[in-house]
Amino acid sequence: MNEYDFTLKFNLEDSQADPDDFIEKLYAGGCNDALIGVGNKGYVALNFIREASSAYEAISSAINDVKRVVPAATLIEASPDLVGLTDAAKILGYTQQNIRNLIIKSDSKSPIPVYEGTDSIWHLAEILIWLREAQTYSIDDALLDIAQTNMNINIAMSWQKIAPDTQESMKALAV
Amino acid sequence: MVRKNHPKPEVEDALRYAEENGWRVDVGGSHAWGKIYCPYNDKECRSGIFCISSIWSTPKNSGNHGKQIRRVVDNCTKHNNVNESSPEEE
Repeated sequence: MNEYDFTLKFNLEDSQADPDDFIEKLYAGGCNDALIGVGNKGYVALNFIREASSAYEAISSAINDVKRVVPAATLIEASPDLVGLTDAAKILGYTQQNIRNLIIKSDSKSPIPVYEGTDSIWHLAEILIWLREAQTYSIDDALLDIAQTNMNINIAMSWQKIAPDTQESMKALAV
Repeated sequence: MVRKNHPKPEVEDALRYAEENGWRVDVGGSHAWGKIYCPYNDKECRSGIFCISSIWSTPKNSGNHGKQIRRVVDNCTKHNNVNESSPEEE
């Protein structure tokens, strides 16, 4: 068993929902390993530190625990996944300068950002794999497993935004 | 006014850490022991949704619950901007 540390953010169908109506039920529903954030009306976020045999098992059981209690909640983000350099440095425990030098000044081909701009964004999983394989850094297996699983979930959610009748033609363009 | 202590020392320590950083701690609930409130409640804050966080009376793992609380306090972007040289925890 490993400990998996991740955060799930849900949209609540009722934007005026009173969190106290479901917080107690989430405890009984198995979320006693989560810190629940209710600072934005209409949303709830849960930071889990969950014991499981894989990141998939940890995250899927967590989503099911929430959906059983609040069926109308829809998942909108699994993190950590999309990160800027500041986030990546914080997660890895490096200084920001250190990670910037690694990625931007590296001789070996560094991970390609999802968005390139003033503040570029990467998938954490791609940074971790690159650090491990090209830079031979030691990367925590549980963190990499979580980052990859979160990336898959977030991409699966994005995929659903594509109208079903155009999914096939869009897929053909993504080569 | 003195608030009630949290029954788990690891959680109580983290709550004191939150208070030292300006957070308000409100007690109330049954499984939920209470809530913590960020002093800024900034919409721009990256971890804004945790500006109000619910604390369990009997979390599955008290050490982890304390860690989760400390992280929320440390992630407050507003506080970090206001107080650049804030002391490192532990």
